[in-house]
Amino acid sequence: MTKSNDTNLGRRQFITRAGKAGISIAAAGSVSLLLYDVKGPPRHSVKTEEFVTLPDFSIPPIAGQNMSIVQGPDRKQTVTKAIELLGGIERFVKKGETVAIKPNVAFASPPMLGATAQPELVAEVVTLCYKAGAKQVVVTDNPINDPASCFTLSGVSKAASAAGAKVILPKLYHFKHTNLEGGKLIKNWPVFFGPFAYVDKLIGISPVKHHARAGASMSMKNWYGLLGGRRNIFHQDINTIIAELSMMVKPTLVILDGTEVMLTNGPTGGSVSDLKRVNTLIASCDMVAADSYGCTLLDLKPKDLPYLAKAQAAGAGTTNYEALEPILGTV
Amino acid sequence: MDSTSDRSKKLETAIGICLLTILFLIAITILIKQSDYDMGRFGIEKAVGEPEPIKAKLLSLVPAGFEMLSEEVYLADNLFEKINGKAPLYIESGFEKLFTQRFINKENKDLWMELFVFDMAVLKNAFSVYSVQRRPNVQFLPDMQFGYRTGDAPYFVHGKYYIEFIASSKSDELFKAMMEVAHNIQTNLPVDKDTEIPELTLFPQDNLVADSPKLYLASAFGFEGFNNIFTAQYKLGDETITAFFSKRTDSKDAQLVSKSYYNFLLENGGEVKPATNKMLEGKVINFYDTTEIVSAAGPFVYGIHEAESQQSAEKIAITLLNKLGQGNK
Repeated sequence: MTKSNDTNLGRRQFITRAGKAGISIAAAGSVSLLLYDVKGPPRHSVKTEEFVTLPDFSIPPIAGQNMSIVQGPDRKQTVTKAIELLGGIERFVKKGETVAIKPNVAFASPPMLGATAQPELVAEVVTLCYKAGAKQVVVTDNPINDPASCFTLSGVSKAASAAGAKVILPKLYHFKHTNLEGGKLIKNWPVFFGPFAYVDKLIGISPVKHHARAGASMSMKNWYGLLGGRRNIFHQDINTIIAELSMMVKPTLVILDGTEVMLTNGPTGGSVSDLKRVNTLIASCDMVAADSYGCTLLDLKPKDLPYLAKAQAAGAGTTNYEALEPILGTV
Repeated sequence: MDSTSDRSKKLETAIGICLLTILFLIAITILIKQSDYDMGRFGIEKAVGEPEPIKAKLLSLVPAGFEMLSEEVYLADNLFEKINGKAPLYIESGFEKLFTQRFINKENKDLWMELFVFDMAVLKNAFSVYSVQRRPNVQFLPDMQFGYRTGDAPYFVHGKYYIEFIASSKSDELFKAMMEVAHNIQTNLPVDKDTEIPELTLFPQDNLVADSPKLYLASAFGFEGFNNIFTAQYKLGDETITAFFSKRTDSKDAQLVSKSYYNFLLENGGEVKPATNKMLEGKVINFYDTTEIVSAAGPFVYGIHEAESQQSAEKIAITLLNKLGQGNK
């Protein structure tokens, strides 16, 4: 007859085995405790990387010279006039400065459809910056769809390069993580930082478009391109994210192109039938004011776009654009 | 007995070492993967879709004088990469997959187009995204089940697919090529052609604006619970009136949905108005100087949206009610 070992287990052997088991459990627990990260996993791979904050590119406001609205069919003429009415390009760009231009190049779409910034408008602003003595002008955006296709098919890369700008397509190393002070959504989130880290001024250029989720896509929504990661999750709280973008980005100037506005099926459109010619271009140091006026071109009121009030409450600008006494012009 | 015990101990030790080694390797793998975690990299990688029925037909789609460029496939989780803020419209309407293909003219490289084929799972979903995006003042394409053209491109439904193009420029040559692709799709991409949308026949034909019916699968008129709503426009004199209905699971559900929307209108500034037609008493609402009518009949919720005159609104509402009554028999 055979007996199992357990039936012969003595007190000493039991204590030894129990001790070993205890040590194993303690060791496993200690390793777990050692590896446990109270702060949670970092969202970036480079451990030495610090959180970044986009520089403040804004310039001091001048009463009565912070917003201009120019009527006319030719974008080159209207943008030149709009900037001239605000004191000229020299107010915004000083000799020897480096300027970043961030046009809306979100889609691989031809200029005819109005889903992206118009090439001739971007080129004209590049030219103006160089006339003011800019050392270098860079044109960049971070479309989620293949950036090379977006820049090529929108015509922006060709026009900007021809005007002397350096076109920068997004690369992985351009993204750094940021924490927006007072932000709810932009927390430990990657932003398209590289091209803006060492420039002196920042100019945004965007078309006036209907947007299925946000109501309208204009100057403030244009900064959505600066977000990295799976930024589509922010579409669930689109008003907050646009307001936070207005807190995160402090541009020198925004140019809002309402020459042809996208009235329906935005933000991509897809047909010339989605567009309406209203021949209006806005230049402003206050992007909340610019968008508050811009939305009227889409037959909306500022109160129809909750992100405008949120941005105003956050101190990014005013929805009462009339208080800025916009300078009107026609060319 | 001792040799058996020794063998057992050795076996246990060997198994234990194997298990510990496996666990160790799993832990190392997890650590390596986690250390490379970077949200900034998400969204850049392309989703790999399953083979598309349309891919197999690609060569038969190419129009004369053109060649194929890049193709792309998007699923619900990365559709935003292609169409950004318009993605929710598709996803809320049953979107399954988007296939895109660019074609370029062999002679003139400035002439290119991009084909978008949205697989919406069923015809009804495809009709919904087609109808709610339909541009005004278009020319309808009679040889398509549902289709129209604007100045630059055609848009149409082919079974469960909603199909559109973008064109590099307004060009007759390009439009001709797009229509060739469209006809190639009709001919070569198999779909269940017997499928129809029976609800579309429930709209009364008198004064109906041709090709005006739309289907809102979600949140019609800004009201979250208002789904599966068919709308159509009627012309009475100079006035255009929007009528709507939705077939619910039963009359109880229809009453519930009708009441919810009715309350939604009242909570947002609407005021009950006396009806001219007694059948509509208590169902007419003055909503910021427009007339809204909402009620239920059998399994249908029906009504009028933002009509200029109450008289016209009531007239169309009664016509619709009668027709729905016939449809319910």
